[in-house]
Amino acid sequence: MTLSSDQATESLKEIHRTGRRSRQAYGYANSSPFFVLWGVIWMIGYTGTDLYPRHANLLWAALMVAGVLGTIVIGRARAQAGDPHPGINHHAGWRFLATWVAVGVFIAATFTIFGHASHEQQAAFTPLIVALIYSVAGIWLGVRFLVTGIAVAALTLGGYFFLHEHFMLWMAAVGGGALVLAGLWLRTV
Amino acid sequence: MEQPDNLIHQPVRLKIMAALRALPQGGKIEFVRLKALVDATEGNLGAHISTLEQAGYVAVEKDFAANRPRTRIALTRQGERAFEDYVSYLRGIIDGGATA
Repeated sequence: MTLSSDQATESLKEIHRTGRRSRQAYGYANSSPFFVLWGVIWMIGYTGTDLYPRHANLLWAALMVAGVLGTIVIGRARAQAGDPHPGINHHAGWRFLATWVAVGVFIAATFTIFGHASHEQQAAFTPLIVALIYSVAGIWLGVRFLVTGIAVAALTLGGYFFLHEHFMLWMAAVGGGALVLAGLWLRTV
Repeated sequence: MEQPDNLIHQPVRLKIMAALRALPQGGKIEFVRLKALVDATEGNLGAHISTLEQAGYVAVEKDFAANRPRTRIALTRQGERAFEDYVSYLRGIIDGGATA
């Protein structure tokens, strides 16, 4: 059997197409539990902030630690089960920690530059950064991440401007819920 | 390589191999997800995977996840080498370096 140059080109295109879809599907499936985890953390965090605003900083610090630890545990469990995540290996713990430190420093620097921010402004800013990260990831890695990013941004802004008095509960139910639903959606690929 | 590897050259098997090759090292893909990726029926996909497994190109692992049976497929080293050879063969044809 011999192949023509056109047949070889078509075969290479098919390899490229299938490989891209496979990488995307694998990325979606592996990201799913992390979306669910952080969605639950948002639900707890924003509900706690609404109920106990004085302890919000302490609560969020504890939740961030729990989230990073949970992320590491899930990543390692999946790697042991034969589902290695391309971005999660034995250096993942430090990378996640460094990522959150970088995000935290960025947020603190931004508030320092712009002056006093209300609890609601602070509570809206972080989800918008998360939405930005998902959107950029979506542009490069898969449209479902982009849809999630846009949804989180839209829900955050909608809640901030139209449900200002109940913004924390809105973010708990809808912001956290959006992440959980996105996680379940990613699993369906 | 003078001739294409017929085991890989078949269209569905080519998609299976391409999908598996795109996974990270040691990565496995569930049967149902692979079925959606290569757009094959369950029986058709199962037959092609058996062919590739008999050739030593893929490894099939069956277990339970959340109390449900799960079948996962991974590329073996032998399969990876065969696929790379096949891709080189195709590139050789395009570049005019292989007998076409």
